[in-house]
Amino acid sequence: MDRRRINGPSGATIPPVFDDAGSQDLASVKSRSRPPNATRKMYLRTGVTPSASGSAYLEIATSAKPGVSGLKLNCSVHGPRSLPRSAPFSPHIVLSTHVKYAPFSTQQRRGYLRDPSERDLAIHLEAALRGAIIADRWPKSGVDIIISIVEGDQDRETSKSQGDEVWDMMNALSGCITVAAAALADAGIDCVDTVAGGVAALVQDAGDDSTPSIVVDPIPSEHGKILAACCVAYLPTRDEVTNLWFRGDLPASDMDLYTSLVENGIRASKNANCVLIDCLTETVG
Amino acid sequence: MASSQHVLLSPAELAYLHASLSLTPPIRPDGRTPIQFRPLSAETGILPGTNGSARICFADGTEAIVGVKADVERTAQRPGEETVFLEGGAGDDEDDQEGETKEGVDKRKGDASWVEMTVEIPGLRDDDSGTAFLAAMLSEALLADGEFVKRLWINRRFHWKLYLDIILISPPLSYPLPLLSLTTHLALLSTRLPRLKSEGDEDPFFDDDWAAAPYLFPRPAHTTTTTTTTTTRPPITLLVMAVGNNIIFDPSKEELAVADVALAVSVAGSTAETGKGEAEEAGRRLRLLSVRTIDPPSRLTPPGIANAANTAYGASNGAVGTQKMLEARTAEAEAVEGVWRAPRGGAKRMVLGALVQKVLERGGVVDEVLDALEGVELG
Repeated sequence: MDRRRINGPSGATIPPVFDDAGSQDLASVKSRSRPPNATRKMYLRTGVTPSASGSAYLEIATSAKPGVSGLKLNCSVHGPRSLPRSAPFSPHIVLSTHVKYAPFSTQQRRGYLRDPSERDLAIHLEAALRGAIIADRWPKSGVDIIISIVEGDQDRETSKSQGDEVWDMMNALSGCITVAAAALADAGIDCVDTVAGGVAALVQDAGDDSTPSIVVDPIPSEHGKILAACCVAYLPTRDEVTNLWFRGDLPASDMDLYTSLVENGIRASKNANCVLIDCLTETVG
Repeated sequence: MASSQHVLLSPAELAYLHASLSLTPPIRPDGRTPIQFRPLSAETGILPGTNGSARICFADGTEAIVGVKADVERTAQRPGEETVFLEGGAGDDEDDQEGETKEGVDKRKGDASWVEMTVEIPGLRDDDSGTAFLAAMLSEALLADGEFVKRLWINRRFHWKLYLDIILISPPLSYPLPLLSLTTHLALLSTRLPRLKSEGDEDPFFDDDWAAAPYLFPRPAHTTTTTTTTTTRPPITLLVMAVGNNIIFDPSKEELAVADVALAVSVAGSTAETGKGEAEEAGRRLRLLSVRTIDPPSRLTPPGIANAANTAYGASNGAVGTQKMLEARTAEAEAVEGVWRAPRGGAKRMVLGALVQKVLERGGVVDEVLDALEGVELG
């Protein structure tokens, strides 16, 4: 609860759903237009915030279907700077990550204060980046990584987005990891490698009895049902995973399914890493 | 973050601990085997004002209480869904029992917002990120399969809203995730909701006899029918870590401080029983619900200095030129035995796969823990 501002009534209204004639056609083309192993196009640029020591902007292309917005992320890195005098000694750089959805970024309005899901994203991001940063080169210093999600990855046409928020969070996290890695490189903070995020999901497209298939970079509204998904932060040259987040419902007897989900997540992360490397070499060269 | 609280161990102690945990078999400071849990005492039904409650106390003195409270709440109607009309439904009252089996169609729906979980850890602010992470992890396991919230469905207009309040009574002497998860599991097992007397989509009306209240997770019924009944159990979340080639369950704080990688794995077990005269157990089937890497506190530990680089041991303390700096960089990269260095980079995917595989092993730790929790008498 935000006590410093005048709050509107909470949950008093539901988001509007427009009953236009075209919506019937839209529902029929609701399917994935990309091959299952292709990620969406993304646009990455560093150095967008001059006042920050490093910054980056990431936009993921909207899919062919109109009405689906892409993810838009802005990341700024402040530091490394010395810790305040009151802070205890730290032999490593102190990493603090903030992820915030803009109030207008999702269908349900987000408040000004960070809600638990945003804090959760920040912790995931911290774990992903801490593995990549060479932390002992900056004793007694701190760095702030601030990500604002300008526009979330949501389908605005559907009235019910039941349970989709969770899967949206995974897409947002993979974007956050990639954009933060670009901003860290822009700030000149030493990393073992460029870390990038990737998402893979196990989806069931046609009915409850169809055989599930694995797709990369899923959009929840394009698939009938998402059974499980995993988000991976991956360091390609070291072949290591710094953060792994799996969620879903898999029978324990089927370890192969889990393994191939993670492998596909890594594949998606490699794709994102190509964009990241291209963007960084362009800035340098 | 609770996992990254500083451990007061010197680099030499950390190096020693890491070396002894990397042995085959590993030697743990408290003498446990790698898959052994800390001994714990548990009881349920300790809070009379709740629908279900539990307390677990680990032998190292950490203790947690969980209380489960339930409210009846009106389900928000979204446009586009079938509109609900009040009708004197014939046979509608059997939705709860037969709704799922009738032609395989499950009318019940659930929503993640029907479960609210709060975690309170002394010494941490309630808006601390670590607390939010713990709560997210525990509720994620509960909501992952979407089956749990369906149990809270009353009719198309009303549902139960479940509040799970998790309180760690003792200071967090170790990363409290397994403790909180096991306590939540027990509290949910002991949770009972009043028996519904109204029918169909009427305003719900309940039996005031508490003795008649059914459990949220029904007890396995030892019937003599030939039908197969499945009893599902709430999920549990286990903390696993890898040091060298060893996989260690339920690490203490000191052990976690030298972990190469730490994972929180949530699993749920369901037992299929085919009652043919005697209850013949078809074995427990485990389901993997969620996996999260935990940022190991080992990344925040101070590094040791090798004797060769230590001026107290005769290393030259000359002017630091660029050549020296380069040497320092290369020295930074290679590990000296017995000198502690905080792990850098991530975990190999083989290691992560092996950790999950070990948790899901048949007849492994999960089975042992679930069997032990099953043995706790529900008060």
